Amino acid sequence: MESWTRGSALTEIKVSETALELAIGEEITTEAKSLGRQTWERLLHHRLAVGSGVILILLSISFWVVPNFSPYLFDQVAAGPPRSAPSMSHPFGTDPIGRDLMVRTFTGGQYSIRIAALVAITTTLIGAVIGAISGFFGRWVDASLSWITNMVLVIPALVVLLVLALRYGSGPWAIAFIIAALSWPRIARIVRGLFLTFKEQDFVQAARAAGAKPARIMFRHILPNTFGPIMVETTLNVGAAIILESTLSFFSLGVRPPTPTLGNLMEAAKGAIDSRAYELLIPGAIVTLISLCVNFLGDGLRDALDPTTKRSR
Amino acid sequence: MALLEVKDLKVVFPTDEGLVEAVNEISFELDSGEVLAVVGESGSGKSVSAMAIMRLLPKTARITGHVGFDGQSLLDLPMKGMRRIRGNDIAMIFQDPMTALNPVFKVGAQIAEIILVHRDVSAKQAMSRTIDLLEIVGISEPARRALQYPHEYSGGMRQRAMIAMAIANDPKLLIADEPTTALDVTIQSQVMEAIKAAQDATQAAMLLITHDLGLVAGVADRIQVMYGGRIFESADADGIFYRNRNPYTRGLLASLPRLDARTQDKLYTIPGSPPNLLRMPPGCAFRPRCEFALDICKQEIPGFTTVEEDHVSRCHNIAGLPSLVESPS
Amino acid sequence: MLIYAVRRIIATIPLVLAATSIVFVLTSLGGDPVTAKLATCTTCDASAYQRLIDLYELDKPIYPQRYLSWLTDAVSGDLGVSLTQGERPVKDILIERGKNTFMIAIPAFLLIAAGAVAFGVYSAVRQYSISDYVITGASFIGISMPTFFFGLLLQFFVVYWLQKTGQKFFYTSGIHIDTFTEYIKSASLPIMTLILVSLAGESRFQRAATLEVINSDYIRTARAKGLPERTVIFKHALRNALIPLVTVWALDFAALLSGAVVTETIFAWPGLGRELISATFAQDLDLMMGVTVVAIFLTVSFNLIADLLYGVLDPRIRFD
Repeated sequence: MESWTRGSALTEIKVSETALELAIGEEITTEAKSLGRQTWERLLHHRLAVGSGVILILLSISFWVVPNFSPYLFDQVAAGPPRSAPSMSHPFGTDPIGRDLMVRTFTGGQYSIRIAALVAITTTLIGAVIGAISGFFGRWVDASLSWITNMVLVIPALVVLLVLALRYGSGPWAIAFIIAALSWPRIARIVRGLFLTFKEQDFVQAARAAGAKPARIMFRHILPNTFGPIMVETTLNVGAAIILESTLSFFSLGVRPPTPTLGNLMEAAKGAIDSRAYELLIPGAIVTLISLCVNFLGDGLRDALDPTTKRSR
Repeated sequence: MALLEVKDLKVVFPTDEGLVEAVNEISFELDSGEVLAVVGESGSGKSVSAMAIMRLLPKTARITGHVGFDGQSLLDLPMKGMRRIRGNDIAMIFQDPMTALNPVFKVGAQIAEIILVHRDVSAKQAMSRTIDLLEIVGISEPARRALQYPHEYSGGMRQRAMIAMAIANDPKLLIADEPTTALDVTIQSQVMEAIKAAQDATQAAMLLITHDLGLVAGVADRIQVMYGGRIFESADADGIFYRNRNPYTRGLLASLPRLDARTQDKLYTIPGSPPNLLRMPPGCAFRPRCEFALDICKQEIPGFTTVEEDHVSRCHNIAGLPSLVESPS
Repeated sequence: MLIYAVRRIIATIPLVLAATSIVFVLTSLGGDPVTAKLATCTTCDASAYQRLIDLYELDKPIYPQRYLSWLTDAVSGDLGVSLTQGERPVKDILIERGKNTFMIAIPAFLLIAAGAVAFGVYSAVRQYSISDYVITGASFIGISMPTFFFGLLLQFFVVYWLQKTGQKFFYTSGIHIDTFTEYIKSASLPIMTLILVSLAGESRFQRAATLEVINSDYIRTARAKGLPERTVIFKHALRNALIPLVTVWALDFAALLSGAVVTETIFAWPGLGRELISATFAQDLDLMMGVTVVAIFLTVSFNLIADLLYGVLDPRIRFD
């Protein structure tokens, strides 16, 4: 029988966590489908993930390459007439002080991607370490770390985010760290769950019986097995971070101009939607596209890593 | 006319790796009150054929052939007509009682539901019938038990509840799909007795699907041995047990533990493993595991040979099989 | 169950204390109301300065003294006063703004719950159909779009429509609730914005949960019983598929508050979220704490409700 453990205040029930996985994950059925449709689907599936990956790579390359070939600098004032509509010399137009929006957009993408990657890695590191320790050592270590995890979940993230960003945040690093400090509980829970499961498995018991030290068991025996899910989470975190960065910027709390990010470009454009909507739509579409690709990629990764979804009935 | 008439039933599943011919042109008949056991290893197609009769397979399964039941052609019935038959004229007992009952509804309510959907009775009448049914299948304190949830039942009790559900509307045909496989060995025979008793009480015909030939002894009137989606041998129970003419049937029989065996005898196992339905060998599906295989077995799928009246076997080398030395015990 | 609820509430207390402590320390470190006040008040003299120091006990350490005195007041129902709003009691502001927030949050919550079940179940039952692909695709886009961008997009479309046709069906900012039509016109866009992310996520969740359930043995049993497909899906499957969703509902309702911050800012809707933003920028400590407390309270209570509901829906769970 399964144990229906009832935890403290905010521990989700086991079932709901797996269900959560499924929510973002792909089909759980291996139900038989018509042959043509199946081939089509596999193709589509791979295409989605692979296509998303390709788009992400191309976008990233363009973020680094385009600014280098642009005749303007991203903070070059009066590169053209102020508030000019898209034209040959300024494909994305110019902002109120005449800066070229194309070079700003691509440079902004560069910063956004950097911040997102930084956030994803930091979040993963914090979350994975806490989750691993919690799940591996159990007992009071687990109890206290789980308690802290729950507490972070209770705190209204946005409040803290606002306060911290207002007071400490302006540089990309600070922003990244602030977002990470509030996003780690999710991955911590997942990793904890994985460690709890693997801890009881035969190969770990065998290693323990052979006298392996805890650190060795953790890093050599269990960690490699958790790599897949951690990868998936990290990928999905990149998408979440891009959105969070832009949201913080929307409240003028992100990276400060003149350094552009996709978020603060949108913030700068929000007053102009009745006249120059493209100033908002372009960075907004890029943020959505990046996030969408990242989600598809994470989804595909999860599928690829899960042998049960690959098998035919 | 037979109650159930299956003719050239074929079930094909499209999968990622190709077509799976799970059931290949099987035909049989079942008379009222008769018990037919379908025996075979996993992947032999025995469960799939039962699901095909009930039309419970996924939509993508391609089913061809003819299934006649009580004068109706089941495969051609509209879904509405099929629903009237399911649970009413044909009832099913599934393999795993731990998952076959809905965890969030009370057992009694789940049994009463099958009565209410097919009979014009009040909820109260349905409930009192439910309690009677629980008593019939051997559940003590049925009135209290009816108000419990499946997780409060043991495995054997859940299967009894499934039996009660199956006989609730006095079906003409019971299909029991590996009804004891998921249960503890100690209660398998008890549950089998309950099934037999329920079948006797309702006078229903029964299609008993199992991998365990030992289980069907004394229960089945006829036995049909399946392998790789095809019927390999079909005869009355004695014909299969004592006069069988098929190497696979012999392998199945030999792998049964026997009371009179000497302790140092190792239990026989058929060498090799059941065929991969995606990569069926050409010719006879059993050939790779068969010690009597001839050259022709590699090329040609054997047809049926009539061994005696109402006894057919699918084998190229019936003549080469040693005669059965053992006398009926 | 009552005992369980009481035990859970007691277990929550230290959690809430720790969470409020952290937010209190952060906000107090983050802003100095006196400086903020003096910057805006040119006529304030030393006595006003001293009054502020007394009011906020600024001469005492932040932790634990100032926190404890805030906590003592808070427990007795006094959440302090808002410096930026003429020392109006925070409680009054919270009630007034809270009403406005709930005016969009509750319809949004109901629409999310109903929509997620409808879309999720529909696309699960019609797995691999065109409508499944459309719903799944739309969910992905919904998950991937920043809330504020969606809100601005809605505004853009309304403005664009206005420029094209001279008609404006919805208000793009402010609260108008004198008549029901006015309410619909002004609340529709904020509600849609609030719904977006949660609806997308929950639909996907519901789809996965439903798929898992409809491929289970007991659904096959239900079909074998001869039940109509309607009963199979809406009674046997849905009842099971809703169980995991209840937790998500609870978490999402609490998350609606964060969504409200963005939404209310875009549409100038005078609710708690916008209050939080202005309080944060104005360093209005008591008001910030007030909104925080509301948020924490909602999170904690909805989690408790979810867990209790879970027990009601799933008979396998016993509270002990």
